[in-house]
Amino acid sequence: MKSIISTPVLCALAAMLVAAPVMAQDREIVVYNAQHESLAKEWAAGFTRDTGIKVTLRNGSDSEFSNQIVAEGKASPADVFLTENSPAMTQVEQAGLFAQVDPDTLALVEDQYRPSSGQWIGIAARSTVFAYNKTKLTEDQLPKSLLDLADPQWKGRWGASPSGPDFQAIVSALLQLKGEEATAGWLKAMKANFKAYRGNNTVLKAVNTGEIDGGIIYHYYWFGDRARTAENSNEVELHYFRNGDPGAFVSISGGGVLASSKHPQEAQAFLKWIVGKAGQQVLRDGTSYEYTVGKGEASNAALVPLEDLQAPRIDPHTLNSRKVTDLMTDAGLL
Amino acid sequence: MSFLELSGLRKSYGPVGARVAAVNGVDLAVASGSRTAIVGPSGCGKTTLLRLIAGFERPDAGSMELDGTLLAGPGSFVPAYRRPVGLVAQDGALFPHLSIAANIGFGIARDTPDRQARIPELIRLVGLDEAFLQRRPHQLSGGQQQRVALARALARKPRLMLLDEPFSALDTGLRAAMRKTVAGVLEAAGVTTILVTHDQEEALSFADQVAVMRAGALMQAGAPRDLYLRPRDRMVAEFLGEAIILTARVADGHAHCILGAIPVDRDAQHQTAEILLRPEQIGLQPDQAGGASAVVTDSEFSGPTCTLTVEVASGAGEAGTLVLRHPSAGAPQVGTRIRLTVSGSAHLLS
Amino acid sequence: MQASADSTLIAASASRRRRTAPSRLSWIGLAAVLVTLLALIPLGFILWVTVQTGWETATALIFRPRVGELLVNTLLLEVLAVPACAVLSVALAWLTERSDLPGARLWAWLCVAPLAVPAFIHSYAWVSIVPGLNGLSAGALVSVLAYFPFLYLPVSAALRRLDPALEDAAAALGHGPWSVFFRVVLPQLRLALCGGALLVGLHLLAEYGLFVFVRFDTFTTAIVDQFQSTFNGPAANMLAGVLIACCFALLALEMLARGDERYARVGFGAARRLVPASLGRATWPCLLLFALVALLSLGVPFYTIARWLLAGGLQVWRLDEISAALGHTTVLALGGALLATLAAIPMAWLSIRAPGRLQRVLEGCNYMVGALPGVVVALALVTLTVRYLLPLYQTLATILVAYMLMFLPRAIISLRASIAQAPVELEQAAMNLGRKPLDALWSTTIRLSAPGAAAGMALVALGILNELTATQMLAPNGTRTLALAFWAYSGEIDYAAAAPYALIMVAASLPLTWLLYVQSKKMAGQ
Repeated sequence: MKSIISTPVLCALAAMLVAAPVMAQDREIVVYNAQHESLAKEWAAGFTRDTGIKVTLRNGSDSEFSNQIVAEGKASPADVFLTENSPAMTQVEQAGLFAQVDPDTLALVEDQYRPSSGQWIGIAARSTVFAYNKTKLTEDQLPKSLLDLADPQWKGRWGASPSGPDFQAIVSALLQLKGEEATAGWLKAMKANFKAYRGNNTVLKAVNTGEIDGGIIYHYYWFGDRARTAENSNEVELHYFRNGDPGAFVSISGGGVLASSKHPQEAQAFLKWIVGKAGQQVLRDGTSYEYTVGKGEASNAALVPLEDLQAPRIDPHTLNSRKVTDLMTDAGLL
Repeated sequence: MSFLELSGLRKSYGPVGARVAAVNGVDLAVASGSRTAIVGPSGCGKTTLLRLIAGFERPDAGSMELDGTLLAGPGSFVPAYRRPVGLVAQDGALFPHLSIAANIGFGIARDTPDRQARIPELIRLVGLDEAFLQRRPHQLSGGQQQRVALARALARKPRLMLLDEPFSALDTGLRAAMRKTVAGVLEAAGVTTILVTHDQEEALSFADQVAVMRAGALMQAGAPRDLYLRPRDRMVAEFLGEAIILTARVADGHAHCILGAIPVDRDAQHQTAEILLRPEQIGLQPDQAGGASAVVTDSEFSGPTCTLTVEVASGAGEAGTLVLRHPSAGAPQVGTRIRLTVSGSAHLLS
Repeated sequence: MQASADSTLIAASASRRRRTAPSRLSWIGLAAVLVTLLALIPLGFILWVTVQTGWETATALIFRPRVGELLVNTLLLEVLAVPACAVLSVALAWLTERSDLPGARLWAWLCVAPLAVPAFIHSYAWVSIVPGLNGLSAGALVSVLAYFPFLYLPVSAALRRLDPALEDAAAALGHGPWSVFFRVVLPQLRLALCGGALLVGLHLLAEYGLFVFVRFDTFTTAIVDQFQSTFNGPAANMLAGVLIACCFALLALEMLARGDERYARVGFGAARRLVPASLGRATWPCLLLFALVALLSLGVPFYTIARWLLAGGLQVWRLDEISAALGHTTVLALGGALLATLAAIPMAWLSIRAPGRLQRVLEGCNYMVGALPGVVVALALVTLTVRYLLPLYQTLATILVAYMLMFLPRAIISLRASIAQAPVELEQAAMNLGRKPLDALWSTTIRLSAPGAAAGMALVALGILNELTATQMLAPNGTRTLALAFWAYSGEIDYAAAAPYALIMVAASLPLTWLLYVQSKKMAGQ
């Protein structure tokens, strides 16, 4: 067939395959970004401004990327991996695909926000909340624990985004705190009780319109919407479970440099920039409303201080993402 | 009282302001049990007239009565499916998604008791084998499809049958045979029939009554022989067959023209008029016999007959060219001098 | 996926032109076989993964309540939406083609125009207006509005070609208008209805974005969920296997329903000029129906886009981002269209010039692959490249191949129709004048079929422009098409920022949809 294709056509096709602008990869780092795109874009833009190193983002979700990196192995095109939650980090670490984070970088972050292994590092934190519609629920009607939502009285009244990594991280905390049997039972009850949405924003919106009484999300969706138009949150209040409840889980967003990176220096520099002053300032002053994790870096003043949340003590190291997706698949949530 | 009576039927098409009259004031009476042919060149409005009779279209004006029942008139209209009128279309219009049996049974209500018996009866009636019943329309030849279409139309026992050029798509040989079959079947069934065709020969041989249409109007209607020999005007004359039209002076029951004095069929005095002769009325004689003298100027051979062009030179100094047909055997050569004789009388055109 | 319906449109014209030229069969046949083998890779791969997963795991992942739920959802969706599309399309098509509806030509175009609005933008518009809209009924409603043109196109084309003499004959046999419609007209629309319904059914199986907005779970959304949780895990592959089975079930159902009936005109006379049915007092209700359909299928998306653009003001026009997305989309759409068209040449040529068993088998394979949802093709190619063909992983080449596989039938259909118009004698004349066979083919038939090739490219480009799932999974790093950008913003409920992308996608699709409309008219002989 080739012989009948005219030369110009072939040349054009070849040129497109080889030199397409989409593929340009010269002197820049590729970041597999599972964090919010807007936040990652701010970080990348700031980093490029300060260092001149270009950043290409590939956007996706936590466990999609962790599984992808494991599947790619040493051939992964990624230099840096950023997540919203830690289970995906643990998975890549267990596959031995992370390089050690530079000691200078590790020193910038509080101990409790990074694993002892030093293979990756916390870059931000977020708290689980029960967002509820204040016209539907009074404070005394609120669930005392995440586990209460398995109760039949909550049937059809609450929602979550089970396909998202955030909720899966919360389940991994539940798994870590209460064990496999209790978690599987709770997921089964959840399947019968809850309404499924895609994305925490969508859950928030549904709570606001009164479609559901409440939903399990992270805190910053509410703050972010309030800061914009409050269009999806003006009827919504947040309830923090506290008391070390699985529902008070504070999730650590992680960042790591891949051992296979062809630009390790630039990759390490990017990570350092994020947990450093400039990167953490983006969290404090920007529109993300996630908690800072850098030593001496204050979070946004509007947030309830992290110390007051009475989060359960969980080593981010121990959170298991694959077990969680298996359990959720078994429960028919995925 | 005639069986079907059309009076002042009109139908126009097109946007307001540029409407074209397809049927423009047609009056026609059809006797019960008769066969009428509506004939005319394409675009003369004959198909529209047929569609008006079938009830596919609503006339703009005029009225239509079938056996005393008003089918269409001012403020009243019976739609096609409520009229006892059958139709056989140009190409049969058999339903391609149904078997032959289902096609024939299409017009018989499902709860009719003898429905199953009538279908084979009908197919035999049109001269086809019962084995055809299980086939599909595309497995039949054109002639067979037309027979099925006829059987299908007869199934409803219509009081009036409309045939819309049903033979035009058939081979020449098949056409005449089909015409005979259809005429026979319809006659046996005693159904009044209207045939629409552009083929004058078909019209003349098929019908008891022929109606010639042009530009939406009925020019003349009558028995085939009358129309052929005594057409009202030149157009009708030429449409129904080859015509020799000559200018003549009429006096004493004779037309005086280049062919001499010919008796005319109606009386007129000292008038200059056009007369009609049919080519078969003119005979060729060897020179020196009686009649008008002429010279053959051209001869075109076409199998059994020859088309001859002859130039007539009469004593009065008038000259004219006639085109005649002559059996090929014994046809005169170009340049031969001959004599022309006329049999029968000439028809005086109005 | 355009394929099946369009193929019914032109099958008749193709069969009339069948000729054989065995001398060139070898080269072109080989090329066609290669393309087909390439096309079968995703299918084969999913099957192979299933086998590799092991019987126990596979059954555990396939025979679980969740899959049952998805099956019920899918079945209910198909059962609701496809017949609704069919009824609506037949009614609209009859009114535009057969009645004296005022402005019929404009309405006909408005019945096709909803195709210019990607399905997920339809649903974005609907949830913007009715935020609580969700579930089966919402999914079915938006599906009908987004996809009914796929049925309207073939049905109106078939109605245009029906011989009105048949309807007259039925009326003369004592059948009233309704009886004529149900016993004569409708049976003859069977081919068009089957083809169109198949197309809609396959789109429902493949659609992702539409159902995410209205929170309705189908196999495709579940596969994407699994992908986002586990990348190419076994559960995703098993779901893909079930989805493939659903596609094949639809194909088989269509074949059964289509049967081997013949619906062409029997006879030879020229079809009579149509006399449009007079609507009389029904004119206003009919106009109201069209106005309602246009309002729901075009008014709602345009109103929503306009509303969000107004709300967003100037700041949503981030020109650097938008121009980059436009650039990426253009490269992908043009590259994919070119590749698909080139790959379609041998197949299309074979089907016109050397039809036979080989050609039928090859063509059948290509249509089967074209019926597979993008998410399945993408999943197969991701797994394949990451495991065995790493140099091709995340490259432009891979995503273009995916597009080629998904949209090959569109290219074949368009090319085939125009190759059928190029007489084989020209090729022979060129050879007679000393050109080698392939050169002769290139300089005659292929040049002459350029308009068809261009139309095919446009249709493929239209598909790529609106593609979401495969692009998401396969695109090279840093790729951001219009659809991906729209999806990213709407996912964060930033509907205003998504609006410019929606507008550009609709604006780019409109001319391509117009082309589809014109092409369908041409195929029906008008």
